[in-house]
Amino acid sequence: MKIRKRSLIWNGDGMLFKKMLRDILKHKTQFLSIFLMAFLGVFVFAGVGGESVGLEVNIDKYYEDTNLADGWIYSANLDDDFVDKVNNLSPTLQSERQLVVDSVGDFSNDPDITLHFVENNTLSKFYLIDGEPLNISDDDGVWLDKSFADAKGLKVGDNITFEFNGIEIERQIRGIGYSPEYVYHASTSSIIPDFNKIGFAYMSYEAFPGDNVPYNVMQVKFNGTASAYNDLLSDKRDGDYNSFVEQSEHSSVNQFSEEMDQHKMMGDIFPVVFILIAMLILLTTMTRIIAHQRTQIGILKASGFSNRSIMIHYISYGFWLVFAGSILGLIVGPLTLPQLFYPSMSATYKMPSWDPAWSMDFVYVAALMIVMSLVVSFIAVRSISKEKPADTIRPKAPKITTTGLLEKFGFWKRLSFNARWNYRDAKRNKFRAVMTIVGVIGCSALLVSAFGMYDGMNDLKEWEYNQINHYDSKLVIDEEAVMSEIDDVADEVNGDKLMESAIEIESGSTKKSGSLLVLNDTDLVTPTDYDWNKVEIGDDEVSISQKMANLLGVGVGDTVRWHIMGSDKWVNTTIDKIHSDPTSQGLIMSADKLEDLDLNYTPTSIVTAEHVDKNYSAIKASNSMKEMTSSWDELTESMWLLIYILIFFASLLAVVVLYNLGLLSFTEIEREIATLKVLGFKTGALRKLLLTQNLWFTAIGFILGLPVGYYILAIMWESSGDSFYILPSISPLNLLLTAAITFSLSILVNLMFSRKIKRLDMVESLKGVE
Amino acid sequence: MSTIIEFKNVNKEYRSGDHILKAMDNVNFTIDEGEFVVILGPSGAGKSTLLNLLGGLDSVTSGQIIVKGQNVESFNDNQLTEYRARNVGFIFQFYNLIPNLTSLENVELMKDIVDVNIDGLNVLDSVGLKDHANQFPAQLSGGEQQRVSIARAVAKQPAMLLCDEPTGALDSKTGVLILNLLQEMSNNKNTTVVIVTHNAILAEAADKVIRIKNGQIESIAVNENPKKVTDLEW
Repeated sequence: MKIRKRSLIWNGDGMLFKKMLRDILKHKTQFLSIFLMAFLGVFVFAGVGGESVGLEVNIDKYYEDTNLADGWIYSANLDDDFVDKVNNLSPTLQSERQLVVDSVGDFSNDPDITLHFVENNTLSKFYLIDGEPLNISDDDGVWLDKSFADAKGLKVGDNITFEFNGIEIERQIRGIGYSPEYVYHASTSSIIPDFNKIGFAYMSYEAFPGDNVPYNVMQVKFNGTASAYNDLLSDKRDGDYNSFVEQSEHSSVNQFSEEMDQHKMMGDIFPVVFILIAMLILLTTMTRIIAHQRTQIGILKASGFSNRSIMIHYISYGFWLVFAGSILGLIVGPLTLPQLFYPSMSATYKMPSWDPAWSMDFVYVAALMIVMSLVVSFIAVRSISKEKPADTIRPKAPKITTTGLLEKFGFWKRLSFNARWNYRDAKRNKFRAVMTIVGVIGCSALLVSAFGMYDGMNDLKEWEYNQINHYDSKLVIDEEAVMSEIDDVADEVNGDKLMESAIEIESGSTKKSGSLLVLNDTDLVTPTDYDWNKVEIGDDEVSISQKMANLLGVGVGDTVRWHIMGSDKWVNTTIDKIHSDPTSQGLIMSADKLEDLDLNYTPTSIVTAEHVDKNYSAIKASNSMKEMTSSWDELTESMWLLIYILIFFASLLAVVVLYNLGLLSFTEIEREIATLKVLGFKTGALRKLLLTQNLWFTAIGFILGLPVGYYILAIMWESSGDSFYILPSISPLNLLLTAAITFSLSILVNLMFSRKIKRLDMVESLKGVE
Repeated sequence: MSTIIEFKNVNKEYRSGDHILKAMDNVNFTIDEGEFVVILGPSGAGKSTLLNLLGGLDSVTSGQIIVKGQNVESFNDNQLTEYRARNVGFIFQFYNLIPNLTSLENVELMKDIVDVNIDGLNVLDSVGLKDHANQFPAQLSGGEQQRVSIARAVAKQPAMLLCDEPTGALDSKTGVLILNLLQEMSNNKNTTVVIVTHNAILAEAADKVIRIKNGQIESIAVNENPKKVTDLEW
């Protein structure tokens, strides 16, 4: 006779495999929850991952196909000599010049069209959708922005007229498509693109009206890092150019990658919670099954099953479920979730393809979870090998309760039976008590972070569009307008002038992009601190935003060095004040202060409390507050979607966790409850007994869950990009709502068990162990 | 007949704190192959301890247990598991069937441990339960469950059957049926059967009766002409 040594985990026709399947069926709620949580963990990770990896793959391919530049050199004078010098820098691989000018399209709403006269269309190439490819010797054709063409109903073969620098040119549309520089394309006055008002067009340098094209942008491809190239450039060619923008700082590239990062962060944090919950349920369920099947384990041992095969048998329960859940999540996640996000994103961002992608990371996470489930199951079943078989066939001796500190106090005797029983029960079953509390911590942390995001998004909008900006219309000033024209308009609409510019700020070795806001004395734009109290910035003062101060590591009294993008004039400024702003980080000062620094004051917009419909020649566009808030809503649509999904799953999680732990505690104390019932306790009193315990655990878990949720929220806000500034907080109302959800779920679960108490068969549950 | 089991100066102590309980106190006896042995004694005498030591479920404090020439007390955990798988069939008072497996599956469970060609239906037939093959333990009476547990124990053809109060939870009529079955196993298949009980009547049916009290052997008696279980006065 030989002892069989075969793997029981794979043994599909083995009796122990059958036993496992039937055991799982018997405890289907718990195992379904394990399966569900494992599924959700991988589903969300692979789903949101499929979405963000998809974005990354699509955008990378797009950037590669169109040969997006690594950097842009801006200068008013890009002659052949300069080109040679840049090309002679050893890291330079490729370069090409463009003339980029703002023009107005000949339509009733005067749309802004950015024209690109390109030298040979080899870098940041036009991506053709319809028509013929860009032909560099074509002096009459134009290749137009697809979004703009769609908005205006323009087709290949139509003519279009642009006006710039006082010149009008009419060209025929040869092709329609996208550009890698315009994945995100919004005007300076609006964060959401309005493709009826904004567009771009590519033409050959041959199509430029005039002999010498005054190129102003030089695109470069280079080896090595952007900062090394930047250093080299400023070292060798200092003074020859205005500024250098690296790829990651390009506004379109940057905006899109920030959006991707936000999705990625959400997709990373939440699966962790689901997976932890899955492991928690697995641990409690397996511990319970092991305790329940003590004598069965004894008989298996007595029959000659080795500890190893018995342990493998019990470990395989969780393995199969987590395995099945992860596989399903891996398949379903990337198929469904991206389809939920892409439609709203493709309204704002423009690229040729939106396909979900798959990454081996998903498989690694699933594999990691499976390994974790094996470890967790092992922890639960490891006690099997410790006990002598002779002990396992006997029922377990009751746990010993020792009297502790609490009982020594006089008030112990005055406590009700309910309080004493629950205290002792929790003390005797520490494992269950801890697991329940951990479960509740998980749920409340998720709910708090979900509602915290909800509040944060609302606060952001209220702060930006109600607390700081009080105007009704914002008129964007035409670049060619002269000061007297601007003043006339400002007088007519009772408005105040603003200057907004992109700047680069430096302190020590840290360099950050930000924005400059130049205010004259106005009530329409009032900087605030984080508590929405107005911050008064004196005429000779400079204020830095809190976030920028944090990023640069500076405070009041420190000096920062900065310059306006497109100008190479750096200035030093001492910080006098600190303000906070939710969406724009940088400096605020008065026009006087700006001129003191020897910089030109060039207002970019006029804000007014009046509603302005009239057109002025000095004004390019007019945006009402209403339009701006609705475009904000549109931009944040996918964020909201994520928040709703989160709230839904957090609630689902709470039900699953509380129900499972409730079930666990009920079966553990079934005999005790039956005894109490035999002794004459009424169902109501027993229900109260269990409810008390539940509520205590829920309360402790909830309170401990708050800081955890707060921490998750802080991580999420921090990851939302350099330009956003919002601190984790939750409104009292939503905190109350979170508490209400957690506690009512706890009570609901308790009610489910009340019926079990009523139906509890006293004789059966007091009979010997199975 | 040759000796299959030998206890030599076996001691077993249980410690709980400072208190030492002597469950086996210098126990010596031998059992021959194919014998039908009854171990008698009052509650707490150490009967179950003796059976557990013999079955490799527990280890001795001192002394030797020699089964088929091997020193069981010197086995490590793996060897003990192998020993149980090959040599020992256990039958308990509360049957201890796997509730989620049918009668037949409970018997065929043994296929997972030993390389014996087990025809589960045939074994079940030998205990008269062929018709109940696809029922779960909860659907069977106590006597039927015990017969399944006997079928499960004999399926792997062990050298000995160790029975701890096999009729303790059964009415006397069903009990006789079970004991008769065990006696037949011993007579027909030359399986050594050791039964622990506090029911003295069974002594008349045994080949050998070992009486123990307070962990010590009180007497060992050999029955030259054991009665058939069915002929006993219950």
